[in-house]
Amino acid sequence: MKKTSFFKIFLTTFIISLAVLPIILSNKSWPTLARDYLFNQAFNETGASNTVSSIYLGYRLMDTLGETLVLLVAITGTMSILLNLHKQTLESVETESSLSPEKRPQNALRTNLVEVVASKLGPIILLFGLYVMLYGHISPGGGFQGGVIVASAIVFLALGTEVKTKLTNSVVLSRIEAFSFISLILVTTYVVFFTDGFFSSIATDSPFVSASIIILLNIIIGLKVGTSLAVMIIAMMGGQHAH
Amino acid sequence: MNILLLSLILCLAIFSLIAKDLLHSIIALSAISILSALLFTFLKAPDVAITEAAVGVGVSTIIYVWAIRHTKRKDEEK
Repeated sequence: MKKTSFFKIFLTTFIISLAVLPIILSNKSWPTLARDYLFNQAFNETGASNTVSSIYLGYRLMDTLGETLVLLVAITGTMSILLNLHKQTLESVETESSLSPEKRPQNALRTNLVEVVASKLGPIILLFGLYVMLYGHISPGGGFQGGVIVASAIVFLALGTEVKTKLTNSVVLSRIEAFSFISLILVTTYVVFFTDGFFSSIATDSPFVSASIIILLNIIIGLKVGTSLAVMIIAMMGGQHAH
Repeated sequence: MNILLLSLILCLAIFSLIAKDLLHSIIALSAISILSALLFTFLKAPDVAITEAAVGVGVSTIIYVWAIRHTKRKDEEK
């Protein structure tokens, strides 16, 4: 059995390499039109020195809205599965990794080490996530990356027991998420009136306005991504966690 | 350097496929994520590196571990 699985893995790798080989071997140079245009114009038109964020929040804002909708649908599906799961096995939710201490079995192998370290590290990671989120237009990073770091910081805060915060409450998190999603839709549709119409970019003549909109969108997307992922993971680890 | 990182990623990917314990596979997958983030940094794509590190190491590992906790071990002998 072991040999056949080895053989299958190598066969699959071989076939994939054969499929990719023409791309590696080809001598044709990559198209440079869009790259040169963005290299010369992106900073002047959007005011963001990080060209990646000037693309996905400036020129391609509607794509970003669709991407956020994809994340929303994924989180909604996961949450509905999770809620049904908890309804079916209500008496067997006792797990070692459960957040609230009374749900854990008595003989669970668990020390206070994880909780202390997590609650000490949580605020630092939260600060770093906010930094990545706020400085997305001038340094690598942005809303999504900062949001994921914020989500892991919230999970750390939920694991720890030393810091008492409202931030790990699912209701508060859901409210922040709903508010930021409404503001995202409002901003993306409001941007339309500044420019040529629907599905147009926010690259305007005044880079100051564009840069402010990019910062605002980074904050909104970061809050949205961070709170929705945090709600999902906290629900996975044993439901509501009210301090 | 890139070749070394890529071959390490390939070795870890094969290990994660053939490992008997699924938890070992998850650890190998997060190691792949860290190595990919390093590779992206060398290739001057820091945005992708940050995303890879945050999503691959943090969120997806938690989700995989949670999924494995809710499944049962099934061996051939039993």
